[in-house]
Formats: sequence, structure tokens, C-alpha cells
Amino acid sequence: MSTSPFGTRRTRRWIPWLSILVPSVGWLTFGLYPSLATVYYSLTEYSGVPGTPMNYCGLCNYRNLFTSNYSQVSDAVVATLKYTAGVTVLQIGVGLGLALLLQRRRFGYGLYRALIFMPQIFSVTIVGVLFSLLLDPSSGPAEQILHSLTGGSSAFLGDASVSIWLIVLVNVWMFSGYTMLVYIAGLRRIPLELYEAASLDGCGPIRRFTKITWPMLAPATTVNVFLTAIGSLGEYALILVMTQGQYKTQTIGMFMFNSAFGVNPDLGLGSTLAMVQFVFTAAIGGVLLWRLRRREVAL
Amino acid sequence: MSALSTRLHRQTDPAVAVDPQRASRRRGVVRGLRLTGVQLFCFVVSAGFFALPLVYLLLQSFKDNLDFLQDPTGLPKHWTLSNFSAAWTQGDFATEMVNSLIYAVVPDVITLVLGVFLAFPISRGWFRHSNVLYAFFVFSGFLPAGLIPLFIEAQKLGLYDNRLGYLTLTSLAGAGFFFFVGYIKTIPRELDEAAAMDGCGYVRFIFTIIIPQMKPALATFAVFGFVASWNNLILPLIMLTDSDLWPVTRGLYSFFGEHGSQWPLIAAATMIVAAPILVVFALLQRYLVEGVAGGAATGTAGVGNAPATVVAAEE
Repeated sequence: MSTSPFGTRRTRRWIPWLSILVPSVGWLTFGLYPSLATVYYSLTEYSGVPGTPMNYCGLCNYRNLFTSNYSQVSDAVVATLKYTAGVTVLQIGVGLGLALLLQRRRFGYGLYRALIFMPQIFSVTIVGVLFSLLLDPSSGPAEQILHSLTGGSSAFLGDASVSIWLIVLVNVWMFSGYTMLVYIAGLRRIPLELYEAASLDGCGPIRRFTKITWPMLAPATTVNVFLTAIGSLGEYALILVMTQGQYKTQTIGMFMFNSAFGVNPDLGLGSTLAMVQFVFTAAIGGVLLWRLRRREVAL
Repeated sequence: MSALSTRLHRQTDPAVAVDPQRASRRRGVVRGLRLTGVQLFCFVVSAGFFALPLVYLLLQSFKDNLDFLQDPTGLPKHWTLSNFSAAWTQGDFATEMVNSLIYAVVPDVITLVLGVFLAFPISRGWFRHSNVLYAFFVFSGFLPAGLIPLFIEAQKLGLYDNRLGYLTLTSLAGAGFFFFVGYIKTIPRELDEAAAMDGCGYVRFIFTIIIPQMKPALATFAVFGFVASWNNLILPLIMLTDSDLWPVTRGLYSFFGEHGSQWPLIAAATMIVAAPILVVFALLQRYLVEGVAGGAATGTAGVGNAPATVVAAEE
């Protein structure tokens, strides 16, 4: 530990504390406190409408998860798991494919990478509206393509059996550029000697991929899988724009938002769902990190 | 680091070793011709899948309504700009653009300055147990989302549905910004001592010496912070009910809800909202993409390595 060289002998001790005062208080009030207060609000009944009372009710909201809200909660859990699994698997696959394709430092590739990266700088509002247009069941191009290929039609986002998967695809479209860039950074760290040695030993492209590229990309895969899984577990803004959680697309996060800020606001239930989301995120994130890190060490 | 190593590999590449310049040029031309198939494929993937949806949206925004009803997916027959002017006035996007700009710039600047003031004493080790503090901060990122208590808190503190309140909230919520700690460690300590000896005050030292030294790091975070605030939908949605206070994302969301299936109009509104971000992207494209790639590279290098190198550099 060292001391600040600034200030007179009397002010010297206080300068570090004054320096961190405003940011710390700000973070405690608007960052840490709301997170922790979620636990308390999940134990209350509160509509949030000014003038209405807030009643402490113990574990009533948690009990309701398994009784009166059970069907909605179980639907939300299923939707969340579908969404997270779908986005993670597809985005890793697409991101890796794009990275292998576009890792070269050659003319034009910078532009291609930029185009693929571009969607994620847009707001979810823009992306959501854009794909609502493309997937419009009466006047969108997706409908035309489907009709000319199969002769059938679909309600797309209005069809509960495909709705969530379509939003998964939109999410992958939006963020696979990030996954690609992480993989490209990983690919460029692999020593070329490994490939040269493998070629001399008569390894074909497929074996070079499975024996060198994929294992050497383990750290990049850790980052990508972890960030994608945690990100898609918490995602609901995109779903809000596209379906508002209708047609079986109500994930836990979406359910939290709808119950807290929807037509019949129930902030107690919303906070409880935020806690459910936290448990899922901590459990899935913890398991993923543990497995992925072990895979790295095993090399 | 990675750029350096690939450069080294290139130099040891036997094909280049004979006559580096000419050989590589010849090889480039040959490869360029041979790999046009791959080039074409890359172009089709990137342009067809990732850019075409936006181009389609742009085309739709030039259609008049009759055109759209007759042929919803085709090219516009009668090109018109009327959708843009209609969307601009009906959606009140002029006010919303100004709002978005304020909501993006003010918290961005305040957060970064506060972040430097927070990170500096910690990276200089002026506190006992500062790594405990750091670990606690990182851990707190995994706590439950505090959106609902934040909403209740904003109402109680009078920050709900007003501009100043919203700015206070967004500026301070992001203040727990420890990412600069590592960067500041690379700025030599001798600078502090010399400045203090010359009678430079702490605040002046931070603003005139430390902040200019941190330009690259600050610029990266400023750009990403700006884009993130500009794009935020959820917070304006719950904190601002007065439509005069809405940013463009919130405005577009309501516009989309109100105008149902008037797709050319909605397409024009979406293009209006997307345009500023597209310009930012076009100008800073290389910077943004490299920023992510650089961040990703340090991410994959393992967190454990970073402090060791900093310590080594200090000793």
C-alpha cells in the first residue's frame, strides 16, 4: 500500500476517499442497491401504482410460482431454455463458420467482416421492426419465398410452434458478428507451425480442424459460449419488440417485464421472476464456466 | 501481439523468402484469380444475409402505399420521399433525435470521468484490500437484474419521468467502472510524484495529465457507451412516459405499434432512426470492429495473465 503524494499533510489522507466518493455512491444507489432490493421486493405484494400499499407477504410469490402461476412459469422456463440453447448452438456454429471463412487478411474481407458485425450496433427496436416486416405473414418476402417453394403459408411470428425459433434466428443474425470476431482473434493466435507439421504428417483438412483448430480454439469457445448463453438467458428486449411475449415466446425475462410493467402491474411477482432468472443464470453460467475451463485445462 | 507474430510467420514463409516483394505480389494475383469462388461466396454470405435485409427495408421506404398494396415485395414503381417527411413529422423524430443525443452523450462523458476518478486511487494502491473491492465489483455483475427496484427508487426520489432524473440515473448507474484500473497501472507513478512536487492539485492532475494519457482507452469505451445508450429501449420504456422526453428507440417502438401495417411509413421511420448509427458505423467501422477483436483477444488470453505483466512492468 502506498499513499497519495497529492495535497497538504492534512488533506492527503482524504483525497483517495473524495476521489471515489461520487462514483461509489452512484454505483451503490443505482447499481448494487436495486440488485439486492430485488430479494426484498420478491417477498411483497405491490402493484407500483402510486397510492397503493406494499404488503409484506413472505414467500407468497414463490408459492404462487408452483400454484396459480404454474402454467405460465413452466411455459416461460421452456421458452427460456429453447431460446438459450438455440441461440448458443446456432451462434457458435455460424460464428465459427464465418470466422473460418473470413479470417484471411485480404482485399475485401475487412468489408465483409464489417457487414457481418454491423447488425449488432443497431437498437433491438430497429432489428425487431425490420424482421417484423420481413416476416409479415401477408406482405413480407419470407411469405412469398415460402409460398413459391412449398405452396403453403405460415403465420411466422404469430405461429406458436415456430415463433420462438424465428426470434432465435434474428438474435443469431444480430450477434454472430461478435462471435465471429472472437473466433478470428483465436484463430490468429494458433501457431502456423502446427498446421505445417500436421500437413507434413499427412493430415487432411478435416483432421487439421478436429485435431488442431478446434482444440486450440478452446479459450475462444469458452468466451463465446459463456457470453452467448448468459446474454440470451437475459434477453427480452428483442422479444418485446417482435411479439411482446405472445405465441409461446414469453421467456422468464419477458415474463418479468410483462408482469411488472404490463397491464396489471405486479412488482412483487416481477421481482420473484427476476430472482428465478438469477438462479437460472447463476446455475447455467456456473456449470458452463466449470466445464469449459476444464476442457481448456485438459489440453 | 498476434499481428506481430503473424508478421514474423510471414517473413519465415519459404515462398516469400526468395524475393519477398515480387513473390508475394505474384502469389497475391494468382490467389486472387484462383479464389474468386471463395471471394464470391464470402461476398454473397456477408452481403446477402447481413446487408440485404437493410437494403430491402430502404427500398420499401421509397414506395407509396398503392405500390405496396399491389406488389408488397417488389421494387418501388413510383419512387417517393413522402414516407420520410410523413414519418419525420408524425413520429416527432426531430425532438427524439435531440433527446437521444442528450441521453447518449451526457451519461457517457460523466460515466467515463467518474470511472477515471474511481479507478485511479485503486490502481495506485492507495487503499488497503483494493483487490477485494475489485472482486466484489466483478461478482456484483452477476446479481439479479435490479430493474424493478430501480423503477420504484426512481419514483420515490423524483427521478421518474423527467429529463434530469433520467440523466442522473443513467450517469450514476454506470459509475462502477473498474475497467480502467489495469490501464492506469501502465501510466508511470513517477508522473504523480513529479506533478505533486510541482504543486499540481489532484483534480487538475487527473484532468490535464491522466485523462489525456488515457485517450485510446477512453475513446473505445466512449464509442461503445454511446452506441449502447443510444440503443437502449427498456430503460426509456419504463422511466419515461411523457412522449416529449422519448429517445428515438422508444419513439420508433410506439410508432411501430400505432401505425400497424403501413409498412412503407414504418420502413421510412426505421431508416431515419438507423441512419445516425449507420453514419457512426461507417466512420468508425474499422475502429469498432478492431475494438471488439482486441477486447476479445485479451479476453481469450485469460484474465490471470494481465496483472502479472503489469506487475512485471512496474518492477
